Amino acid sequence: MKKLLAVAVVAAFPMAAMAAGENNVGACGWGSKLFEGQSGIAPQVLAATTNGTSGNQTFAVTSGTSGCTQDGAVSSSWRTAMFIDGNKHKLARDMSVGSGEALDSLAHLIGVDAQDRAAFNSLAKDNLARIFPSDDAATQQIVASLREVMAADARLARYTAAL
Amino acid sequence: MAAPLAAAAPVDHAYLGELVARARALALAGRPEWHKLLHYVPNMGAPGVHSLVDSPEFFHAPGGKTDPQAELEATLASFYQEIPETADRQSPQCAFVARFAWLDEQLGFDPTRLPRQECKRYREWREALNAKGLTLVFSSAYLNNPSSMYGHTLLRVDARDQDERTRLLAYTINFAANTDETNGLIFAVKGLLGGYPGTFSMLPYYLKVREYSDMENRDLWEYELALTEEEVDRVLRHAWELLPAYWAYYFFDENCSYHLLRLVQVARPELDLASPFRWWALPTDTVRAVTAEPGLTAKAIYRPASATLIAQRLAGMSGEERRRTKELSLRSIGANDARLSALRPERAAAVLETGHDYVEYRRITGKPDVPDPRALARELLVARSRVDAPSQVPALRPPARPDEGHASSRFSIGAGTQAGRDFGELRLRPTYHDILDPDEGYVPGAQIEFFHTAFRHYRDRASTQLESLIPIDILSLSPRDEFFQSWSWKASAGWRRSLVHDGTRPLQFAADGGAGAAWGSGRRMAYVMLDGALRAHSRLDDGHAVGAGASTGVLFDVGARLRVHGYARVMRQFLGENDTPGAIGLESRFSLGRDLALRFDLARQREAGRSFDYGSLSLMVYH
Repeated sequence: MKKLLAVAVVAAFPMAAMAAGENNVGACGWGSKLFEGQSGIAPQVLAATTNGTSGNQTFAVTSGTSGCTQDGAVSSSWRTAMFIDGNKHKLARDMSVGSGEALDSLAHLIGVDAQDRAAFNSLAKDNLARIFPSDDAATQQIVASLREVMAADARLARYTAAL
Repeated sequence: MAAPLAAAAPVDHAYLGELVARARALALAGRPEWHKLLHYVPNMGAPGVHSLVDSPEFFHAPGGKTDPQAELEATLASFYQEIPETADRQSPQCAFVARFAWLDEQLGFDPTRLPRQECKRYREWREALNAKGLTLVFSSAYLNNPSSMYGHTLLRVDARDQDERTRLLAYTINFAANTDETNGLIFAVKGLLGGYPGTFSMLPYYLKVREYSDMENRDLWEYELALTEEEVDRVLRHAWELLPAYWAYYFFDENCSYHLLRLVQVARPELDLASPFRWWALPTDTVRAVTAEPGLTAKAIYRPASATLIAQRLAGMSGEERRRTKELSLRSIGANDARLSALRPERAAAVLETGHDYVEYRRITGKPDVPDPRALARELLVARSRVDAPSQVPALRPPARPDEGHASSRFSIGAGTQAGRDFGELRLRPTYHDILDPDEGYVPGAQIEFFHTAFRHYRDRASTQLESLIPIDILSLSPRDEFFQSWSWKASAGWRRSLVHDGTRPLQFAADGGAGAAWGSGRRMAYVMLDGALRAHSRLDDGHAVGAGASTGVLFDVGARLRVHGYARVMRQFLGENDTPGAIGLESRFSLGRDLALRFDLARQREAGRSFDYGSLSLMVYH
């Protein structure tokens, strides 16, 4: 089993490293690339569906540590960055309408209080173009611009410490 | 395994002896709880048991895989071992927290004589999970993706600080084959032969949602389990033991759903979910077993896939709005087009949102019909963010749940007539759904049948004979419209009888395939396909026949109980046996209940140059 895990981890690592390089979230990025490569019917039809998973999707799992996870659980300091990294498209979509579960989950991670949620949502909506400055914005860039936008808001500035 | 770096913890031999004696007196090694934790199952055709787990580290006794008593005693002894905790090593007390907890419960360990260890890694893991409850998640099959035909299940660990809006942040525990194989065919074959080890793994739910809902477009069902805190505790303690273990992996019996059931059933001592699925575990059936267990499920929540939502959004649009959506998604109009701004803000918002989702859907499913879809998607989002309107995502009425559909195996008994000869017929279909069966709980238009077998007894003959045996028969009808352009296809292989030129009806090998298109919806569909066929039998000219042809049909529901399929097909055999077989007919199913139906077929058929009538009536029981 050890050998197998090692193989899985090694096999996964180039991917993880590549993704990390792009996202600048250390070894913590799930790396959008992990999934982007798997488009089209062929890989869908057989691999993913017969309940299989490729090693690179399990790199952070089972036993031991990898990057910023221990025993499959993401260490708390990386939860927000990893969530953004794994949900860029959903977040951008939720921000464009000012609601949605990805946006709610982000607000939860940042610790936005219930009475400030509406302000947070509309701030995100109004500033979508700034928060996502391009279609391939890195996670770090998204975090930085979100922090900037929130810092400029009297009500929400106090939450930027959590970003 | 490297030699244990165990610290020489002093073993209290007297106390250990006492514990072993009490465990024997209580017959703990024979208890179902112990067998569930060690995954012992009865041997086939021999007395005794063996564990399904294949990693040697899972056992402490040398013969622990087959000897529950020896394993229990070795486990008790192992609790004295203390191994400095690293990323991949832990003391047995910590690696096997569920065994420790259960044995402690039964024997009442004296902490002064069997010191309790700290288990920091386990504690941190539990703190990170912060678990309040568990949810069984079922991912349904996808219409044009019958390899995911039986769906998939995983377990979600719901956190204390989580609500309905932040479910994405939960973790999932998932059982899967551990491989880097990207060739689907090799994966399927090796997987069937047990060529890959299966392991449990943990991933955030948002990654699984992305995989299933966004990439594979499979609807999810979330069945919240009604478990007490102690029951959740039992499952998670055991999950911790299983994360480093592995299993030789087989698709049909030891698959994801089977092992997940084995994990869930440790929640309650009396719970036995997995036994009925020892040899055959379809994810839908395992979900049914969980929902059938009194008081085990609290509620079920439907999470539609991206494509399901897009279809729903489009269904609520006017023709003009649909046109604008399509134009936006192809960049034939810009996001600031005047015709868009002329719409009410809510409708403009709906068009922009749908346009964006459709661009993303096309990109993710690998149909790049527009240059730089990412940039286009962002443009549409930015434009949408400037429209002052709330989200236009439609409220979706959940379809029937997977556990509400007809049972997945079926037998039917009936009578019929073919070419003037009357017969009685018995049919068995172990799995799972055909296009005439009621769609509730299944994916409409997706037919998957394995080992459909028919026996016939002719009135003018003394013997019963095999009429057909079809190991695999798949038909995928995916309706097309201006947004979704999936192909429809079919493939089947097996043995069936048909008339040949010498007037006999031999059982021939038959392989059939076809591709084409379908239109309509689940309740009203039409299709056209081009077909190819191969027949092989010694009584055919040259021993075989190869043909090409076409088929077409319409499927429609009349009310809630009756579905009719009218069809016509013709085939020109151009190699080997010279023939032009064909048929035109009607098939219908009338439901008497969820698991009971009548089937009535009528056809005019042509084989070996002769035309004749066919008709049959049968009673179908789903079970």
